[in-house]
Amino acid sequence: MECTILIGGQAGQGLASIERELAALLFRLGYFFFATKFYMSRIRGGHNDHLFRIAERPVHALSGESWDVLVSLDEETQRRCKADLSARGLCLSPAEIAEIEKRAKDGFSNVVMSNPLLVGVLLRIIGVRSDALEAAAREEDQPAALLAGMALAEEWDMADRFVLQPRAESPYTFDGNSAIGFGSLLGGCQFMAAYPMTPATSLMLYVAKAALELPVHFEQAEDEIAAINMALGASYAGLRSMVATSGGGFALMTEAVSLAGMTETPIVIVIAQRPGPSTGLPTRTEQGDLNVVLSAGHGEFPRLVYAPGSLQEAVDLAKRSFEMADRYQIPVFILTDQYLADSIQLLEGSPELSVALRQYEIFDASYRRYALTPDGLSPLTYPGLGEALVRVDSDEHTEAGKITEDLDLRVRMVDKRLRKASRMDKDAVLPTLYGDRDADICLISWGSNREIVEEAADRLTSEGHPVAALHFSQVYPLVPAMLEGVSLAGKRLIAIENNATGQFAGLLKRELSLEINDMILKYNGLCFSVRELCDEVAARFFVPGGVK
Amino acid sequence: MNDHGEIAWCPGCGNFAIRDALEGALAELAIPPREIVLTSGIGQAAKMPQYLAGNYFNGLHGRALPVAVGVKLARPELTVIVVSGDGCNYGEGGNHFLHSLRRNLDLTVLTCNNQVYGLTKGQSSPTTDLGRMNMFDPRGNENEPLNPLALAIVLGAPFVARGFAGEKEHLKGLLKEAIQFRGTAVVDILQPCVSFNKVNTYAYYRKRVYRLDVPGKDRREALEIAEIQGDRIPVGVFLKDESRSPRETAGRLFRKSVTPGDMENLLQKWHGAA
Repeated sequence: MECTILIGGQAGQGLASIERELAALLFRLGYFFFATKFYMSRIRGGHNDHLFRIAERPVHALSGESWDVLVSLDEETQRRCKADLSARGLCLSPAEIAEIEKRAKDGFSNVVMSNPLLVGVLLRIIGVRSDALEAAAREEDQPAALLAGMALAEEWDMADRFVLQPRAESPYTFDGNSAIGFGSLLGGCQFMAAYPMTPATSLMLYVAKAALELPVHFEQAEDEIAAINMALGASYAGLRSMVATSGGGFALMTEAVSLAGMTETPIVIVIAQRPGPSTGLPTRTEQGDLNVVLSAGHGEFPRLVYAPGSLQEAVDLAKRSFEMADRYQIPVFILTDQYLADSIQLLEGSPELSVALRQYEIFDASYRRYALTPDGLSPLTYPGLGEALVRVDSDEHTEAGKITEDLDLRVRMVDKRLRKASRMDKDAVLPTLYGDRDADICLISWGSNREIVEEAADRLTSEGHPVAALHFSQVYPLVPAMLEGVSLAGKRLIAIENNATGQFAGLLKRELSLEINDMILKYNGLCFSVRELCDEVAARFFVPGGVK
Repeated sequence: MNDHGEIAWCPGCGNFAIRDALEGALAELAIPPREIVLTSGIGQAAKMPQYLAGNYFNGLHGRALPVAVGVKLARPELTVIVVSGDGCNYGEGGNHFLHSLRRNLDLTVLTCNNQVYGLTKGQSSPTTDLGRMNMFDPRGNENEPLNPLALAIVLGAPFVARGFAGEKEHLKGLLKEAIQFRGTAVVDILQPCVSFNKVNTYAYYRKRVYRLDVPGKDRREALEIAEIQGDRIPVGVFLKDESRSPRETAGRLFRKSVTPGDMENLLQKWHGAA
């Protein structure tokens, strides 16, 4: 049993507040839910959809089934979405919304109370009773208005139309960006410099808020070039540092990515992808920036790229990024996207709260920042500790960090930097195999598609179309160990990607000689839904009675 | 000077005197090299940290300032000095010059201003005079030169000064005052380029340079001083506003980590149901 809700309207109509209030109450009432949004690059007007899926088991994707409840704050929502209403679906049309606004004004002398009134109506539709609500609501949730909304649902005969039991015991809720923010703080991040850019801005806000009470500094930079150079300065000076941006801002950062590679300064770079090229669709989702991240920065140097596919992976990989950036003295990338960034989900289980700490080794005056070592890793320390002088240079440099044009030394320094990569194999995060291991078809995902693909695999298998799913959360480097123990021989491999060219499929072929047989690609700026993916897989790869 | 190895400047370059003045200033202020961080970009002046005792981050062209901002925010206890050329600080890094001054951190920003791009062998810089013939300006530079000190004053820099490489002792005094100043101190240093600037030579400046006895009493007066150009070129402190405190930094962050208890609080407060 599930209930899907679409709340549509114009920017400025209170949609974001409604989403926040409904999500907070569903969470505190103990419902399993998943919420995401499709929105336009506008401050006022335009058209935005906020989508909720409420269930009696964990859900981490849009189902793609028709809507059980349609809330139309404007006529356009009504016009566009009415046809997608389920057979026994309920519709709150602009007429009902006007009535809610009237009740807010009459009963509370404040039209803003429409939001809790509407939330009250929706909660009553899924069977919430006033006693449960009173126990869960806080003063700022406006319990009186919520209760008035519940009474209105009864008046309209909408109460208990999609009754769901609150069965979730998940203690925490996050959106994708706050999971990365939380993981970054666990990773010991103490510095972020940033220039706002959708869909990375909420991550900046997270760190900026944390900086108010923790030993962390957030600096708004004049541009992305300054942001990453500030972060490199802070990292050099001794703080674990990060930046976040989206494709266009990242393009500005690329020279400094190369600087991080040359100076061997640890840094974590989060890229929340949106559709390009150029400004593209600023508030929509895509996985189109893998190739640019793989090749960003002139010259040759090692790098590591993670792409979390769930909240837990976002927390874990963000934390791990800071460890790896320090261990290998390299730039580490986290690729996320608008879909994961803006999706509100429950975290299954509790995060491990140990905080990763930097090592502060002290050296004497003989210290050389780029000492040549067998594994390519030179001892890392920071200015002002002991008598060591820490001298780093973007030019090719000597072991002591001074500019050199000694060409033999140049070769040794290149080899040293690249030697670090050969050690990274042992720290590779292996892909996860899910579903029917014996199936003839395996869906391959990376990044935010993980949970959509896994639910689709479950559903396809239960509908008589058995499939397995293989998810990569470390997308570079790809190492042979990733395919050991995952028997893909004889399987038809289908890449599922939110881009137009199958960038990850290309990378698998280049790095692991893995041939992908088919691709399902979506690049209209929206995420996949489970139903859509199932239908596509069933239609293209199955015939009645078996695989095509 | 020899203990810094081979020096990459042309014989007679103004950078030698600037290096000596800066070395002398740091020595007289008795700041231990381990507590100094020099940041620079790219260009001949940007090589200066290589020939001084201190930590350094020799980064990208134009990006010496944001690196210094990051260092200072992370480690307010360190003495952070930016040293680069006019192309780096005023051209490629122009946006950072604007916004770093607005931050008013306790930084010293030195620009070795030779009014020409030297390392790329003679193109106009942001401070090249009108009409000057250069590699890309065979008909003479058609762009109005930037007045970096007038700009710094307008942007609110509390300490603004000009030095001359040909007056090393005076320059050393200025640099000491700039480094000791609490807040962003901007010093533009007239630096003859013996290879690519045959006009703004030592002799040219010696004829025109005069020392200011006292700074301007306020921004308006300092701006008037900064506007003096041509046959008379003032050197010295144009503005020294000690009434403004530098921007507060977050305090000590280095070696002071977030704790599991902090994370538990944050988890409950922002992500929990309590």
